[in-house]
Amino acid sequence: MPWRPRRRLPRPVSRRPVSRRSVSRRSAVAVLACGLLAIATGACGLIIARHTGRAAVPVGRPTLIPVPRGDAAPVPRPSDGEAVARPASLIIPAIGVRTSLVRLGLTSSGALQVPASTAVAGWYTFSPRPGAIGSSVIAGHIDSLTGPGIFFRLRLMRPGERVYVRRTDGSLAVFRVTARHMYLKADFPTMAVYGPVPTPQLRLITCGGTFDPATGHYLSNVIVFATLIR
Amino acid sequence: MRRRTRIARRASAARTGWITRLAGVPRPGGVARPARLAAVLGLALGLIGLAAPAASAAASASAAGSAAGSAAAPAGTHLGWLRLAHLSPNTPAVDVYLYSFGDPSAMIVLKHVTYGTVSGYQAVPSGEYTVAMRGAGAPAGSKPVLSTTVNVVAGKAYTVAGMGPASGLRLQILKDALVTPPGKALVRIIQASLQEHKVTVTAAGKTLARGLPFAAVTAYQAVSPGTWNVHVAGPTESADQRIALAAGTIHTLVVLDDPGRLTIDNLMDAAGSRLLPAGAAATGLGGTAAVPGSSPLPWLVTLAAGLLVSCAGVTLLRRSRAGRA
Repeated sequence: MPWRPRRRLPRPVSRRPVSRRSVSRRSAVAVLACGLLAIATGACGLIIARHTGRAAVPVGRPTLIPVPRGDAAPVPRPSDGEAVARPASLIIPAIGVRTSLVRLGLTSSGALQVPASTAVAGWYTFSPRPGAIGSSVIAGHIDSLTGPGIFFRLRLMRPGERVYVRRTDGSLAVFRVTARHMYLKADFPTMAVYGPVPTPQLRLITCGGTFDPATGHYLSNVIVFATLIR
Repeated sequence: MRRRTRIARRASAARTGWITRLAGVPRPGGVARPARLAAVLGLALGLIGLAAPAASAAASASAAGSAAGSAAAPAGTHLGWLRLAHLSPNTPAVDVYLYSFGDPSAMIVLKHVTYGTVSGYQAVPSGEYTVAMRGAGAPAGSKPVLSTTVNVVAGKAYTVAGMGPASGLRLQILKDALVTPPGKALVRIIQASLQEHKVTVTAAGKTLARGLPFAAVTAYQAVSPGTWNVHVAGPTESADQRIALAAGTIHTLVVLDDPGRLTIDNLMDAAGSRLLPAGAAATGLGGTAAVPGSSPLPWLVTLAAGLLVSCAGVTLLRRSRAGRA
């Protein structure tokens, strides 16, 4: 039986009809059942929610890489142009990176080509050679589909750390990190990375920030800026 | 019995007081139980209804917050660049001193700088600097032959060049370009030949300078990239040199007197990538990324609402039992 209209207030409390009580009981049971159902649903949901998702792989400790030795090629004079050899390998003891360098160009859509393997880094061949005047660009993956890539720990680099590039003639270009920044890919600083600079510099690029499973891409790029010291 | 009912009701009212307070309903007496029950149910349903959008809004808000935090300051620091040049043909070698303005100790000293010498760029904090020239070997404390001040702006590059004849030597501050038009190279000419008072420079099918007088500098000009034959012609002499001008590079060509002939010094002012990639780099596949689980918040709210509703149900049940007894 439905609730009586409230217009009948005030009503004498003592003279409530018996039928009202039976309605109360039935509805009370219904309310209790609803409540218990909601509790069960919430609990199940919580358990399921706990088991979805995955924590990021911890960065851990890098493998020990010795500081490379060898003759540093002379810092180019302003009139030397591209008088330095091509880069062959990259060594970053601070984050345990030692890799050969593949050649990178542009994709058909005009974006930066990335190494086919996540275990090596690549030099963007349309950028100046490392150690020559200008901003040389090296890119590598933060991870593969299953685990860490060559630049997994790039986001940990700090100003002052050293980056070594061995060139095909055996000479070494030594860079000092000046800055590390993370940029949303939507706000990628094209000119700061690829634009002209007056001294020999290096940019190391990888991904970072939030990973979007829907697109399969990270939302940000981590970029390390370094300058030649010898 | 009536009395007992009233007492029981009062007790249950005390127990359900927190619910009614939560529901914003006045304590019993004034409002009927159906209203209270409706309010509690409404609150519970409302909470459940609100939970999902609120949770997702909170998640997206935190994501946006971290994203905004990651879009940090640009890579540019407070540094600018400065280089020094000796481009006065009949001025003997000099020592060039660079002072931070007001600081008597020299930041940089270039000893025995001869005609035609251009230093590499030095990164210096932005601010005022004094460039002083003394004769080669002159004491550092002696009065400079020539000095000038230059204001270095962060992210900009400057050339401070000793120009002109020895009799009229001056320190000229040149602002150096650091941006090229897309797909082009930039070139400018410094005329530092005293033998050939005026020169005409052609390259890449265009005239870069026509009748450029001694100690003058052209503005930068955009040139199609390529390896070009640069031809310099004065009234009596000329010179040719093949020079590679890549896209994204900036050059200063200095016309110099070599004993008895003209030469061209190709200075690389700055270099960037020949082709600028579009957008960002796709350098990650997500194998180490955190994958967010579904938020527990809606479930927690459902649970809490269920508890509330159950409490209300238990209360109503007791009251109805009490009423029947």
